[in-house]
Amino acid sequence: MSKRSVDAVFQGLFLLTDIRGMLRETVPHHRLTAEQKKEAEKILAKLEKQIAILKEELLA
Amino acid sequence: MNCGDGIDTRQIDELFINLDPIQAGGRLTTDAMKAVLAYGDGYSVCDHCTKPFRLDHISKPPLAEFHRDLASFLHMDVARLVPGARRGFQAVASALVKPDDPVLLTAYSHYTEFLSVEQSRGIAFEIPANESHIITADAAADRIEEVIRTTGKKPALMFVEQVDYQYGNLHPVADLIRVAHQYDVPVLCNGAYTIGIMDVNGKELGADFLVGSGHKSMAAPAPSGVLATTNEWADTVFRTTGIQGDLTGRTFGVKEVEMMGCTLMGVTSVGMMASFPHVKRRVKEFDTQLQYVNRIVDALLSIIGTKVLSEYPRKHTLTRMNTTDSFDTVAKTHKKKGFFLTSALRDRGITGILAGSTRVWKFNSYGITKEQADYVAESFLEIAQTEGLPCSS
Repeated sequence: MSKRSVDAVFQGLFLLTDIRGMLRETVPHHRLTAEQKKEAEKILAKLEKQIAILKEELLA
Repeated sequence: MNCGDGIDTRQIDELFINLDPIQAGGRLTTDAMKAVLAYGDGYSVCDHCTKPFRLDHISKPPLAEFHRDLASFLHMDVARLVPGARRGFQAVASALVKPDDPVLLTAYSHYTEFLSVEQSRGIAFEIPANESHIITADAAADRIEEVIRTTGKKPALMFVEQVDYQYGNLHPVADLIRVAHQYDVPVLCNGAYTIGIMDVNGKELGADFLVGSGHKSMAAPAPSGVLATTNEWADTVFRTTGIQGDLTGRTFGVKEVEMMGCTLMGVTSVGMMASFPHVKRRVKEFDTQLQYVNRIVDALLSIIGTKVLSEYPRKHTLTRMNTTDSFDTVAKTHKKKGFFLTSALRDRGITGILAGSTRVWKFNSYGITKEQADYVAESFLEIAQTEGLPCSS
């Protein structure tokens, strides 16, 4: 059992859900404010970390 | 893109401003979406269910606390989760209404309120609305008197809608309840369009039963809802089982009969619980939502011939319009006929109004931002101007 990879899956899904929320909030044009762009950038960086964990745990 | 064999991935709320009259208040928060991901499995809240084996006693996830918080949020004594407001109506009618009992409903009662009366074999009597589409206390008093006079019985129950589904009007529920109580008639207040959107205080209203819809107004997955009551009525509507199997001698603990035991056992209860902190905050911001809906209605009213059929200025975001003398005049000659309006809105990223409607139609702007409200208002005006309809500003 790799608790670390399971956590990374959920963490990744939750981060993508935050992006989904952002898409809903800015519908229909999805024009993000400077603040929202900064927030999206943070979320995507965290998402990349979770993907890296999954690569480490499952593919190494 | 499919999310299962033949099941299209729904992306309505990611691609469009959705003005669907029944969907606006049930749109999930991101926390509820996360809860859906983690608690999608059937009996997923039952991992830590211990004695006395009932949903409202589970402490992990914190459903017991959630039940208490819900009651307190509504200023009622006891609350239970139910699979949709309709199951709340059904539970109360089942507990209070006996065959041939008269039951009062209103001209705007939901069909499931009627069905709950029918299932209990009661007889439905409607309180009429006045010319402004409001159910008044005087009309309720007249109808109660008439029912007593004609049936020889007082109504076993009265249903009232705090905001109705047809006009989105706010009815004088406290006055209606006061009148009913003068005749000793218990009242169920249907808050399907208010609980989770507006601040609802059951004690101030004097309600014996308050019913809300999770998927309509509490940012929760369907089917979900809440039934809250007072200590006076809790033992009646939440009576526990006393039945016993005649061969096995089995009994069923503290399961509640009208609830059919446990109610929301997975994604519905946890989704509702995950949205609850947001819901508690958003009910305090309802006035802002009223500014937005009035902005849209004002823009529509500036298109000559357009009327608002709901009370105005708006006291709720669910609104009924009449554009027979504006947009419908375009539909008569437009190549898309009555579909031109919803098609033009869709081209602008706006959806949720019944396709083909150009006469009487409803929308619900709940949950949109100021930018989105401005955009919707401007879009209606732009469509009107494109089609050559005169506007007053």
